[in-house]
Amino acid sequence: MIKILVTASLIIFANVWISAQTFSVYGTVTDKEGLPLPGVNVIVAGLATGDASSENGEYRIKGLAKGEYIIEFSIIGFRSERKRILLLSDTKLNAILEEEAITTEQVIVSAGKHEQKLSDLPVSASMIDNRDLLRYNFNNLRDALKYVSGVNMVDDQLSIRGSSGYSRGVGARVLLAIDGIPFYTGDTGEIIWEAVPVNEIERVEIIKGASSSLYGSTAIGGVVNLITKEADQPFTYVKSFIGFYDKPSHEIWDWSGEYRLFNGQTISHSNRFGNFGFAASFTRLEDPGYKKNNFNKRYIGYLKAAYEISDASSLKILFNSLNQRSGNFIYWKDSRNALVPPDADLGQSVGSDRYIIGIISDNKLTDNLNLIFRGSYYTTEWSDETASRNSSSADQFRGEVQSNYRIGSLLLVNGFELNSSRVNSNLFGSPESFGAGIYSQGEYLFSFPLSLTAGIRYDYNKVNDQANSSALSPRLGLNYKLNSNLSARGMIGTGFRAPSLAEKFTSTFVSGIGIRPNPGVSPESNVTLEAGILFHPENLIIDAAVFRNEYFDMIEPALDPADGEVTFKNLVRARIEGFELNVSPPVADFLKINFSYTYLYPRDIHLNKILKYRPRHIFNSSVSYSDNGIESGFDFRYWSKVEEIDFELIDLGFVPDGDKRVAVYVLDFNAGYNFLHIGFPGRMYLNVKNMLNYNYIELIGNIAPLRNIAISFELFL
Amino acid sequence: MKKSVLFLFVLIPFIYSGCGKGIEPEPEKIREGFGGNIIFSGEWPDSVTRTHIVVFKDPLLAASDFNAFNLAFVGLNIPKGTVILNYSTLDSALYPVNTKLQAGTYSYIAVAQQSTLNLTLNRSDWFVAGVFYVPGDSTIPGMITVRKGEFLDNIDIRCDFNNPPPQPPGE
Repeated sequence: MIKILVTASLIIFANVWISAQTFSVYGTVTDKEGLPLPGVNVIVAGLATGDASSENGEYRIKGLAKGEYIIEFSIIGFRSERKRILLLSDTKLNAILEEEAITTEQVIVSAGKHEQKLSDLPVSASMIDNRDLLRYNFNNLRDALKYVSGVNMVDDQLSIRGSSGYSRGVGARVLLAIDGIPFYTGDTGEIIWEAVPVNEIERVEIIKGASSSLYGSTAIGGVVNLITKEADQPFTYVKSFIGFYDKPSHEIWDWSGEYRLFNGQTISHSNRFGNFGFAASFTRLEDPGYKKNNFNKRYIGYLKAAYEISDASSLKILFNSLNQRSGNFIYWKDSRNALVPPDADLGQSVGSDRYIIGIISDNKLTDNLNLIFRGSYYTTEWSDETASRNSSSADQFRGEVQSNYRIGSLLLVNGFELNSSRVNSNLFGSPESFGAGIYSQGEYLFSFPLSLTAGIRYDYNKVNDQANSSALSPRLGLNYKLNSNLSARGMIGTGFRAPSLAEKFTSTFVSGIGIRPNPGVSPESNVTLEAGILFHPENLIIDAAVFRNEYFDMIEPALDPADGEVTFKNLVRARIEGFELNVSPPVADFLKINFSYTYLYPRDIHLNKILKYRPRHIFNSSVSYSDNGIESGFDFRYWSKVEEIDFELIDLGFVPDGDKRVAVYVLDFNAGYNFLHIGFPGRMYLNVKNMLNYNYIELIGNIAPLRNIAISFELFL
Repeated sequence: MKKSVLFLFVLIPFIYSGCGKGIEPEPEKIREGFGGNIIFSGEWPDSVTRTHIVVFKDPLLAASDFNAFNLAFVGLNIPKGTVILNYSTLDSALYPVNTKLQAGTYSYIAVAQQSTLNLTLNRSDWFVAGVFYVPGDSTIPGMITVRKGEFLDNIDIRCDFNNPPPQPPGE
């Protein structure tokens, strides 16, 4: 295996060690009246090289090898220009930029593992920025993702365009990464949303649809990549919030007779000393829960250290920790005791300690070649206070080498990845797994405004002494700009997911339900087709997409009627079709409105039944006002009533009244003031979530948060 | 555009007025079930890891009758060393997790024990320590019928570790 990887890596990188004579591109940037424009960003598309225009509007980019390039000119307030040149000697290239209303187009790095504008992508993508995370006082990232078009959650399980139902906290069909480093556990393969240091996230990028051709296993339904803030300036940030859950709308549910108070504090500091920068934060969160035995107390530590070795080379180290104790609440006692667990579950709790350390080395070897290394070690340990006394510890190692190499109009993204997991648990046994992947993706920019993306990845996976499994994941995508405001995109991609060690080896009882191991469960796979358009003139954004996902050997938990126990099996041949529409109409600079609607038709095509826990209709809307330091807004979320659930658990009496479910209607309100407008470096927000105290579930027998009101204060020093 | 903003603000309360409060509690139900005393005699075996009262709907005539769909009730663990226990199917149970025993006919009510590390539903992992018999007839396991809203008392079980009852098939 090592020989194969070494040979493959040699093949990948052998073609890039070419030395060549270098040339310059230079010129002047002016407006339509011929006046020079200073501060214009002039960059070579796909390369991390460029210049900013001087007071005279002049720029010069040196050190470019012979070849074909696209030079981009951009500055806020002017329409960006792209010019193609064939560089055979030093070349003069002037640009005239036209004024436009102030708009900034979002840049995303997760779709192709390099910087791309949203309008250049062959796939659908969404973003959440740091301001929204703070404004809405999201302390758990999963709460923020519920407001993204086409996304729904069942408990902690994220579903992008219907990719996931509910699999009892094991496995994930969306890859979560932090600065490109995968962030899921070695034993259960789940995403620990509580571990995410929300305040340190600059933006969240959400890629919709199979992305295994670049990311391998787990990215079968999409990718959520967390981009952390740069540690580049002296800055201290303090946040504190306090809030309470309102009383339940039905008096018989009021088990505590009190308003349940929750609170949290964060302190964060960043600084830079020459070439060295760092950001560190510590967060404490305490929530007694609106449900009995649903308390949560957690501490999140975070450190990012960055060292600029040279202009062309940098090293980043990331550390994140979560220490948490929480009560167990899986299903209610019954609908008359909807906020109380069964008597047998009372007093049950879970304690967990999770640590991840990552290293990212970014090296610009030549103007055309970037070499990136990502390595990580993620260790998790948890134990519960239940009758079964379950416990597990898992160590996961990952390493990835990626090269971004440009040859004229072609950008090649190549890489290989290794991972290994070791688990020691009384409910999973002591399995070990090893995985390796090798990928290559090319993106070609034609002379007319068409970009074509083609990629393929091979993954190998081995668990204990079982027969190995492998998967080949190709992808083809295109983006065509019909004019400066309108682009069309299309993608056919494939995905796969190797079952987590928990899905293979779990043997336990949870809330009275027995779970039996099935070491024979094999990887699932899918094919995604998508076509979409983005219409973005001035302040209007309309994004529409149609999609179809074909799933093969989908792994779902299944109840065995012979013994009433659950096993994970390759059960479902599924098809999920639908369309999505996002609209941001122009209103006013101080007022923003967004609507999104997703229609899903998710079905098991063998049984001709709708898939479990997938709503057919997802609608989100928001209205936000921002002027003179005052911010205010409403957010509305609608998920239609899920048609299929775990009816077997209800029939067998595990979840009394478990078939009680409704459509989800949630209205949130926020209002805040930025005290910088009166010279004080602080901000304050009021958040009212589930404003009308609507009772709904995401998972059967588990009422979602009641109306809760919180006030947060932020201080910038 | 002002009209569309106004429309949105008006629309949302309308949506809510149409959706009500969401999930509501079920009306209170009359609970039915049975209860009695379990009396242990003799030395508790050291190897026992758990002891439960178990209730089956149909008689255990074959090993295959020992399955989840025939099983109607599994009480919480009875602590080792217990001498006498007053039980009720209205108490919390291991299974069903919270619904109570439904009205119906139950053909096999017993105290069963396991020596395995983890709780299993394999027939061969269970040993029956005591069975409910109709008073005066200790040859055939007693059958009871619980009617809607009815609670039956005196469903007593004797467990003599020195003289265990006949074991159901599939031992």
